[in-house]
Amino acid sequence: MKKGKIKFLTYPLVVLFAGMLLAAFVSPTESTNMPENWDIPAKYKEMKNPHAGDASLDRVGKMLFAKHCKSCHGNIGLGDGPKAASMTAKMMPFNDPKFQAQTDGEIYYQSIIGMEEMPNFEKKILEEEDRWAVVNFLRSLK
Amino acid sequence: MKNYILFVLLTVIPFTALFAQDEEEKVKDRPVRAPFASGYLIDNQTTMIPIKGTLEFAIQHKFGTIENGMSDFFGIYAPAANIRLALNYVPFKNFQTGIGLSKEKMNTDLNAKWTILEQTRENTIPVAVALYGVVAIDGRNESAFGTGQVWHSGEGRAVFNMNFADRLSYFSQLIIGRKFGNALSLQTGVSFTHYNMVERNFDHDKIGVHFNGRVNFSPQSSFIFNYDAPLNIQQISEQLQVPDHHQPNVSFGIEIATSTHAFQIYMGNAKGIIPQDIMMWNSNKFNFDNLAFGFTITRLWNF
Repeated sequence: MKKGKIKFLTYPLVVLFAGMLLAAFVSPTESTNMPENWDIPAKYKEMKNPHAGDASLDRVGKMLFAKHCKSCHGNIGLGDGPKAASMTAKMMPFNDPKFQAQTDGEIYYQSIIGMEEMPNFEKKILEEEDRWAVVNFLRSLK
Repeated sequence: MKNYILFVLLTVIPFTALFAQDEEEKVKDRPVRAPFASGYLIDNQTTMIPIKGTLEFAIQHKFGTIENGMSDFFGIYAPAANIRLALNYVPFKNFQTGIGLSKEKMNTDLNAKWTILEQTRENTIPVAVALYGVVAIDGRNESAFGTGQVWHSGEGRAVFNMNFADRLSYFSQLIIGRKFGNALSLQTGVSFTHYNMVERNFDHDKIGVHFNGRVNFSPQSSFIFNYDAPLNIQQISEQLQVPDHHQPNVSFGIEIATSTHAFQIYMGNAKGIIPQDIMMWNSNKFNFDNLAFGFTITRLWNF
């Protein structure tokens, strides 16, 4: 390859590399998915948990959490599961008082309906009872 | 044969009594939660069918046998591998249909599964019942079938040209399963396999019994096993003596299930992946040398 040709390639590459480096600084940094980021419809906010404190659902909640939630949210819901590193949003730990201060209906919406990276689970957890079992389990992680 | 009929009757009668007892109950009884994590259980199907509108992609792979030890790293490098890629879709509640391609005999299979009954929590229905059917097309080049000439059973020594129908094989199965508590789910089944064309010393038809299950030992992991036995029934055999080259398929492994995936890694003595191939052509006796590693991965999408 001629010398001139190498120069011809070098400058655009340097500019591209520098551009990428700068872009890394100006791109939005990860944001923690705090409760205030969620736009939860009033219908869900006011939902009452018909299974609050139902100990017979403890195991169901635990099993569903292990199957559907653990890979991102981690073993005890700290947001440190194996898939967490590849996410843009930083997950709020479930033991965070801000998370626990929400109503059961709000947690239901966040867990089952979802938003952006948090998937919708309506077709994976079909029964209302099971969905509330997950909410109950999240409550136990404080 | 009488013994088999007696066996079937003894298995069915107690259940019919249970059905009769519970018909009067009016409270709506819901199906049990997840008797199985996936529709696949190594070489068998479970009574589980995902929610309507689910598309499933399955990858099934079986390596060579472990008999050569380190020289082919327990079959991992062996050329005798078999693989099947399949798509399944659930167009209606509890009804699934699918298509698969497997390397062994270049089989293309079309299959359907219908879960007629789901076991319920209050035992209104004590067992899950499903029907499973597979039609497979042997897609190999004509040269793979020797001269391309066939005899038809019962038509003497006349020779015919092989045609498309000769490539077809059928498998139909009735599956009965029950979840016993949180840790144990078991299934039993009876099947009928038919090949339109077989080698001269084989039978076209095979009746088989199946027994399989899973033992859950953690929220996501289970021990799983299969036992599929082709029965030697002289009354339906075309040979003077039932050929003994049909060997039972024994396989066992571990299953890990997540929200949208199921991973199964196992060892077994059958090379075939589609059920008729296992019921008709498995001649590997169950012993240590004939075991081979295999795995299944499934991925679900909801629409």
